[in-house]
Parts: sequence; structure tokens; C-alpha cells
Amino acid sequence: MNNIKIKSKNLNVYYGDKQALFDVNLDLNEKEVTALIGPSGCGKSTFIRCINRMNDVIDICKVTGNIEMDGMNINDKDLDVVSLRERVGMVFQKPNPFPKSIYDNISYGPKIHGKGETKSELNQIVENSLKKSALWEEVKDRLDEPGTSLSGGQQQRLCIARAISVNPEVILMDEPCSALDPIATAKIEELIDELKKTYTIVIVTHSMAQAVRVSQKTGFFHLGKLIEVGKTEKIFKNPDNKMTQDYITGRFG
Amino acid sequence: MTKEERLKKRHRAEKRFRFYGLTSIFVALLFVVILVQNIFSKGSSAFKKTVITTEVFFDQELLEIQNGASQEEIMEADFYDIMIENLIKAYPAKDRDEEDELLKLFSGDAEIEIKKAFLNDNNLIGKTITLDLTASDDIDQLHKGNYPRDLPEERRRISDFQLVIYDYFVENKKISKNFNNYFFNNGDSRDPELAGIGGALVGSFYSILICLLLAFPVAVLASIYLEEFAPKNKITDFIEININNLAAVPSIVYGLLALQILLATIQLPRSTPLVAGITLALMTLPRIIIPCRASLKAVPPSIREGALAVGASKFQSVFHHVVPLALPGTLSGTIIGLAQALGETAPLILIGMVAFVVDIPSSPVDPSSSLPVQVYLWSESAERGFVEKTSATIMMLLSFLIVMNFIAVYLRQKFEKRWN
Repeated sequence: MNNIKIKSKNLNVYYGDKQALFDVNLDLNEKEVTALIGPSGCGKSTFIRCINRMNDVIDICKVTGNIEMDGMNINDKDLDVVSLRERVGMVFQKPNPFPKSIYDNISYGPKIHGKGETKSELNQIVENSLKKSALWEEVKDRLDEPGTSLSGGQQQRLCIARAISVNPEVILMDEPCSALDPIATAKIEELIDELKKTYTIVIVTHSMAQAVRVSQKTGFFHLGKLIEVGKTEKIFKNPDNKMTQDYITGRFG
Repeated sequence: MTKEERLKKRHRAEKRFRFYGLTSIFVALLFVVILVQNIFSKGSSAFKKTVITTEVFFDQELLEIQNGASQEEIMEADFYDIMIENLIKAYPAKDRDEEDELLKLFSGDAEIEIKKAFLNDNNLIGKTITLDLTASDDIDQLHKGNYPRDLPEERRRISDFQLVIYDYFVENKKISKNFNNYFFNNGDSRDPELAGIGGALVGSFYSILICLLLAFPVAVLASIYLEEFAPKNKITDFIEININNLAAVPSIVYGLLALQILLATIQLPRSTPLVAGITLALMTLPRIIIPCRASLKAVPPSIREGALAVGASKFQSVFHHVVPLALPGTLSGTIIGLAQALGETAPLILIGMVAFVVDIPSSPVDPSSSLPVQVYLWSESAERGFVEKTSATIMMLLSFLIVMNFIAVYLRQKFEKRWN
């Protein structure tokens, strides 16, 4: 059993008058993949966006309760979100590379955090990040081409490389494969398997099969509530809750 | 209705619509063609001026300076007698009356033109040179064919005798058309043959420059703040509504504002490009802020999130990613705003730029005219020569506007990044 990396206690999120999350208590283990499943609008994305405080950009969003990483309260108003996001990277549903070169896409993060002071250090970071995201062989000869010229799957791996370029501890993935074809999806899944040796990963997915393939732990959300959480095998083979059973067998959602 | 009938009806409706569309485009193009044709046919002759080739003898007896005189001496010297003596020789006139009529065929600047020739070469005393002296407005218009010579004499500005002289000039090939450098170099003048847009060009340039320097940074920073940083609440909503309202305020209102605040209260010098620039900047601000915000808004939120997610601060995500992407749209919006300001007349009339200014301004605090105001001034003048000058000034103004709009479109197409 791995250590607990992130721990949420009675986490509530409101968008204006509407409550999006209700008392979520969820622990994420270190160097493990946790999958979050559930129907659209159930609060999975809202939950992971609490971990790197991305909800801050939404004016009407209010978060109460506790969410801790290594004992540090993420939800603390005085916390510096910049250093938090250096430790918690994120990959979005739609690949969103910057409209800059492949090299600049990766080197941007290290540069603003003062990592890679010399050109050669920076080159090393770019190369390592691209290697870790299994993109190096495909792009090593065209690093100055725009990131947007890559295919969808490559763009998503570029975004993963961008996330790991600042050497985070946690990577949040918000349906990273929903815009990709099956081959690109398979590559990303392989990559996730590899990355979990180094990073704690949380992945939101609509694909049960993907959750089974990549995760060790699965949480099922419904209407803003965490219905059930446990080892992936158990959730998919023998869930405690009737609703979970119905969802994974495709009877609703 | 059967299926076939319905189908036919639908096709007919479609054809009708295409016909209406084509007709409106045709009508619009027709108006443009008529307008441009009208301006060109009236204005193109203004780029030439009529000159009378005259022999000038520099008689030592009529001049108080010597060969080799210095610049200042020449500037102060009187060339009036030299001018008279030489001009009356251009045609064998019989008496003083005929000589007077002959002299009226030359522009009021004939003396200055002779002096300039001497400034270029101060060893001309005792020599005879051939000069192309500018003709008076009446001869100019007559020679360009803008003046009807078959009217009865009492309804003409040119006498029968002057027509005789003119025909004599034409016969002896003493009259010709040159490039009109006065039109570009001179300031305004009461004499159409000497009037030019030099002052208006410089005045417009200073005004637009001051407008750009004031409006661009303020508008861009205001847009970035409102779009990216400001909280969305009642106050910012109120500001947004008012920016949109301000863009629709008639420009003359800004003129009144400038009249009261800039001229009456702060006492800035009137009729100057400085005041014009500030007034135009006030007017242009909302017109730049609106396209600027639109181009910031057009940057997809995923770019901001991508930057924030790797740990960029709000400031970094805006200035490293959003602003560079919005820049082409911002610049083209600014240029179009400036183009509007360049053509603005009403507020400038209120702040006194409508004054008759002969000198070309050497700084933004000198009294000056501007291109659209010059059009307005000349269009009110009675002399025939100002008709072509008015149209030629419109041509200049239009060509500046077209160039600016072209740059705006080019910037947008060339540098706008596309994302999927």
C-alpha cells in the first residue's frame, strides 16, 4: 500500500448558487493511477481542478472544506498557486499546445520557474520531457516547428511533456483521450503506465475500459457526490453500491 | 401544394434572393464608381500647374545687391522692379493699362520665384535666364480647360485682351503645365495657384501621432485589464456599457468637450495639432478598446489554462500567451481607429483648426490645419481653382485611408495565428 499523497476532507464546491460537489472525501495514493468515473456533469473535473486550484479562474466558484497534499492545505487562501501548480501538473481534455514551437512549448514551464538556467540544461529538460512522453523519436528533428502542426495524439503527448517538464509530483488528466483515435489512445495509456512509476496520476475518464486498463484505484461520482471508491478490480467486479453497478454495466449515464 | 410545386417555389425564392443580392452589390459599386470618377475627374488636374516661360534679365540698375551677395542680403533685397520690368516684356503691350492686364496673368509669387532663382545662383546680374513662372489662377484654369472662354466678357474674370495675350502665349509655346510642387509644399493661401496641403499634411501627421501615442497604450492596457484581470461585477458591466456608448457619441461632442476643458480651462493653444491629437485620442479610445477586447476574447481559454497549469502566474499567462496572440487584431483595430480619426472634421472645427493658416507648422503647438478641415475650407471657396484642389485633397486623404486599411488587413491576415 502506497502512502497517501492527496487527501480531501468534506470538500464542497459551489458555482454561484449551484453546489457542484458535496462533502467529497477521497484519498489519492502516491505513485498510483486513480481513475474518476461517472456521468457527465457529476463533478469529476471539478474535483481534480480543486487539486491544482484551477477553479480559481472561475469568478463565481467557491470551495470549502479541506484538501491536503503531503499535509499542506491546498485550499489555503495564502497558498501560492504558482508553486502549487509547479508541483501539480495538468493535462486537458482537448490538446492545447501553445501556438509556438515544440521546443518553446516544453521549455516555457522550466523557464518561468527558473529551472534550466543555461541553454544546455534547458535542452536536456526538453529532451527528457519528450522522451518521458514517448514523443522524442517523432519530433527530435523538428523541434522548431509549431506544436499545433502535430497530430491530435502527438499534441496530447506534447501537452503531457509540457506538464512533466517542470517535474511535478502529481499529474491531473481531464479526459486526456476523449479527442483521440484508438491508436493514439493506446499510446497515451501505455505512457500513463510508465509515468505512474514517477508521478501520482489522477485521470478523469468516460471509458470504463480505460479505467480498468490504467488505474489501480477508481472513484465513482454521481451528481456531485462520491458514491464509491476502492480498488479498481473491486469496483468493476464487485461494487458495493447498486448505482455503481448500474453505471459500469451501462444501465444509466 | 404538390411536392413539385413546393420545390419550384423554393427554387424561385432562392433565385429571387440572389437577384436582390446582386442588385444591391451592383448599386453599391455604381455609387463608388460615380464618387471616385467624380473626384478623379475634378481633382487630377490639381497635380499640375500652369507656368509661363519668361525670360528674366537681372539688371544691376534695378537691384541694390551685387553678384555674389549673401543669402541674407538676397532675402532682404527687393526684386519687385526686376519682376515688373521683365514680365511686361512677355508680351508687346502698348500702354500702362495693357501692361497691368498682362501682369495679372502671373501669380502673386512671381517676385519670390525670381528671387529663388537668384538664391540658387547669385551671379546672375547682367545675365538673362529663362524661368517657368507660375500663372495666375484664372490662366491656370483656362489652360486646363476648366474655364469657359465663350461667356460674354462682363461675366468672365478674364478680359478679352487677356485672352489675346493667352492665345499669343499658346501660339509661341510660352505656356505649359508642370508638376505642381506648390500643392504639396505650400500651406494654405488666398490664391488658389499658390495654395497647397503642406500645412494640412503636417498638421494631420502631428495630430494622428499624438492621438496614437495617447490612445494606443491607454486603450490596450484598459482592454487587457478589463478583459483579463477585472472582476466581473456591476461596476465593470457599467464601464463596458459606457465604453460601447462612448464609441457611438457623435464626434462633435468631443469637440465641445475639448473646447471647454482643453481650450477654456487648461488654456492649451488653440488651432494646434496638440489639442487636435488629444481630442481625437479621446474619441478614438473606445473605438480601439472595443476591437482590442474582441481580439483578446477570441484567444481560446484553453491557452490561458495551459499556461496557468504549468504554473504561470496570471500576469505571465496574459503577457506571454494571450497578448501576443491578440496583437494582430489589436494593431489592426488601432489602425482602423486612427484612420477614422484622420478623416474626422467636426471636432477639429470646434477647436479652431478651421483658422486660415499659411505657415507650415514646425511643431505640434503651432497653429495648423488638417486634411479634412482643408477640404471643408476649400469646398467653401468661390475661386474655380479651389474646386480641383478640394478634390485633389480628398484623393490624398482617401489614399491615406486606403493604405491604412490595407495595412490593417495585411497585419491581421499575415500574423493572426489559427488554432483548431
